[in-house]
Amino acid sequence: MKRTKKLLFCTFLFILSIGMLKVFSFRGDRGQHGYMKIIYIAKVIDEDNDFWTQLLEGAHMAAKEYEVDLEVVAADKEDNYQAQNKLIEWAIAQKPEVILLSPSSYTETIPAAEKIIEAGICLILIDSSMEKQLEKSKVATDNIKAGQLEGEYLKSFIEEDSKIVIIGHVKGTSTAIEREMGLRQALGEDEEKIVDVLFCNSEYEKAEQLMEGMFAKHKEIDLVAGLNEYSAVGAARAVKKAGLSGQVRVVGFDSSLEEIRLLEEGVLEGIVIQKPFKMGYLGVKTGVMAFRGEEVAENIDSGFLLITRDNMYAENIQELIFPFKEE
Amino acid sequence: MKQIKIGLLFKSIRTTMLFSLSTLIIVTLVIFFWISMRYTEKVILDNSINYTSQLIGQVNRDIDTYIHYMENISHLVVNSHDIQEYLFNEKNSPKEKEEYLYGRIRAQFQTVVETREDISNIAVISSNGKYFINDGKERLNKNIQWDDIDWYQQALKGRDSVLTSNHVQNVIQNNYKWVVTLSKSLENPYTGQEEGVFFIDLNYKVIKDLCENNKVGANSYIFIMDERGKMIYHPKQQQIHYGLWNEKIQEILQCEEDFFLTNNKGEGMLYNISISEKTNWRIVGVAHTTELMRYREETWQIYLLTAAILLALTLFVVTLLSGAITNPIKALKDSMKEVEQGNFENIDLEIKERMNLGISLGDMENKNEIGSLLRSFYVMTVKIRELMEQNIFEQRQKRLHELKALQAQINPHFLYNTLDSIIWMAEGNKNKEVVRMTSSLAKLLRQSISNEQEEIPLEQELQYIKEYLTIQKMRYKDKLEFDIQIEPDLGIVPILKLVLQPIVENAIYHGIKYKDGKGFLGIHAYREGEDVAIEIYDNGIGMDGERLNYIFSSEGKTKERGMGINNVQMRLKLNYGDKYGLFFTSTLGEGTLVVIRIPGREEGEVKNEED
Repeated sequence: MKRTKKLLFCTFLFILSIGMLKVFSFRGDRGQHGYMKIIYIAKVIDEDNDFWTQLLEGAHMAAKEYEVDLEVVAADKEDNYQAQNKLIEWAIAQKPEVILLSPSSYTETIPAAEKIIEAGICLILIDSSMEKQLEKSKVATDNIKAGQLEGEYLKSFIEEDSKIVIIGHVKGTSTAIEREMGLRQALGEDEEKIVDVLFCNSEYEKAEQLMEGMFAKHKEIDLVAGLNEYSAVGAARAVKKAGLSGQVRVVGFDSSLEEIRLLEEGVLEGIVIQKPFKMGYLGVKTGVMAFRGEEVAENIDSGFLLITRDNMYAENIQELIFPFKEE
Repeated sequence: MKQIKIGLLFKSIRTTMLFSLSTLIIVTLVIFFWISMRYTEKVILDNSINYTSQLIGQVNRDIDTYIHYMENISHLVVNSHDIQEYLFNEKNSPKEKEEYLYGRIRAQFQTVVETREDISNIAVISSNGKYFINDGKERLNKNIQWDDIDWYQQALKGRDSVLTSNHVQNVIQNNYKWVVTLSKSLENPYTGQEEGVFFIDLNYKVIKDLCENNKVGANSYIFIMDERGKMIYHPKQQQIHYGLWNEKIQEILQCEEDFFLTNNKGEGMLYNISISEKTNWRIVGVAHTTELMRYREETWQIYLLTAAILLALTLFVVTLLSGAITNPIKALKDSMKEVEQGNFENIDLEIKERMNLGISLGDMENKNEIGSLLRSFYVMTVKIRELMEQNIFEQRQKRLHELKALQAQINPHFLYNTLDSIIWMAEGNKNKEVVRMTSSLAKLLRQSISNEQEEIPLEQELQYIKEYLTIQKMRYKDKLEFDIQIEPDLGIVPILKLVLQPIVENAIYHGIKYKDGKGFLGIHAYREGEDVAIEIYDNGIGMDGERLNYIFSSEGKTKERGMGINNVQMRLKLNYGDKYGLFFTSTLGEGTLVVIRIPGREEGEVKNEED
């Protein structure tokens, strides 16, 4: 009899506790959901630079969507890897769950990045890569293919006696190396028509000066390829200034208001645009997924496409050139 | 059948009852719970759909009103004489007049732009290349074939205002804002032809506010798309542009009702669609059903709590009820066990006690089946007890009668033998012997007839044996010697009458009689702890086991003369209990020892009735 009563009592308690558990789990659900911390070490935070601005916007958008506490830091200049390495060390000390990194240098960032791995923090690369693969995953434009696209477009203008100048951004960065590589692959035999490869260190003025210098040296230059926004705009400015629009064809990289204008004006023949918003968004998303232990691809291509004067206002293309703003 | 199975599963009726009733209740509650929940969910969902439909409809109307307002502005501008003059009067307009008109238009435009933050641009353009944009200082984008652009062409063709989807405003130099453009053709009053276009660029301020402020929950949102499925406003516009977010555009366009439900990775989504008649835009409200079902959890809890309380209550009642039913049965079972073991004494008391104390048997009868069962059992046990008591009484009576009959039976035989001996002695002139024997016989007879009492003091019984042995000794002459020893204080101990005589008789007839030479018979009474032992030993031929068994059997009683040893044994055990009785030890050729064990009670416990 006593056992029966005990059994009954236990059954009752069991049912009641399930009920209570249900109540409390429902109430406590949101509280348990702690925010995940991610630090993104970009190359530079430049509000005038559409690429980085959009990339960060995408990153923040994903952070909001996945309820991530995202902090973004960057050195003063894109090529200041010493400063970036210090930021990496600082970030490790913050003990975030994931570190997103756009390495400033293809080689010099490696020691700092190794410390991230040593600290047991998940590392995701955005935009650029390093000589040594340390990252769990990389979200970037397939720069070789993007370079190829630029090269193919450039090739459509090549004539017998064409002379090509390539203006790169920062010597030694993976993006510059890969884009140049792709460009050369696309040019094929015409690769020999490349007169020179110059680096502007991502400064408009320097690119312009370099271009002007080139014009002074080689008057017959008729094709210019910029490997990023700074180099393309700088080169185009020089071309415009020299009144050589239409004669010297410039193919650029990335998108900015000035590039759009130069494209409309016909100074730039075309631009290969990346999708920085998508890159930033996928970077954070991949970080979250990797941390949750979900399968993530080693290389994630955020995509790119060629914009010319003819297609720039097409409905589905203007969406990608002009970042959508509500005001 | 089921009952039997459950009955087999659980030992007691109570557990069976509890289990089956609890199962029944739980099943009932679960079904009830499920049906209630389903119904509640349906009602909540229906209400939610209704509510969001109304909300989306309201947003739709608000947007229509907004567009209508913009159309009104465009009407004003289009019919403005100043603008017509400024754009189309090319012939003889003096510079002063143009400046005057410029100022008027600027004032008019500025009034509109300054009061409304949601207007990005306001402009008029004439096909002849004259234009006025915002404050008049902004320029047309000369790199763009603006008169080739779709909306410009559309506006120029018709008289109605034209509304674009969202696009980048590239007509104005260095503008590139994302806007929705409302355009309307301008009539050249001099030619009567549509030769210009007025347009207002709307940013997303108002539209966004309308969408943001009317959403149902934190994870819900409202978006707007045009009839081709192109997004006009979406809170995740960027993600959609980059393919990072997919909206169910086809489903919405194909949906004929004003809502549909989908299931996205286990999460239900409600899409409410309202189509604007004015703009043909689709205002779509998206809500997670879990959010709409905010009160679902609460309802769930209330139902669950109710169910738990009901369950607890029922279990409590069932426990009480089953207890009420099974407790008397258990009492009955226990009582039956008692009866089984032969204890009748406590039975009535026990049943009464367990029958909820104080309920008399009369009440019990009217109570229920179990009550009457109990009563029947009670009556039965009482009957059995009576029968058993009667049986014991009858047995006793039977023994008594047997005893009396036997007393009557032995006496004539013995009497004849003794009298025969007396005759022989008288003939031999052995007067002394005749007197002794006759005296002993007289005492013997007196003893056996006078005493109605079943128990007599040991002393008296021994005296009787002494007389008997005296007669026997005289009959057997020198062949028999006897000796009686008794511890001094044992004389008053009561003993059943005629217990010793059959044993002594047995010793003489079956032991000493067949012995060559002198026989001896000794009797010794002594105390042994609480009890009294009376030893009767002889040096006769003794008995083997077979013989011992024989004299204890009923056969021995009938075949032999005298009272059966078995009879004595029965009487002793019947009167004093199993512990007492006769104990035989015999060795063939050496003799027999019989011990009679009786309780060593004091005299006071037995009445000694003298004649």
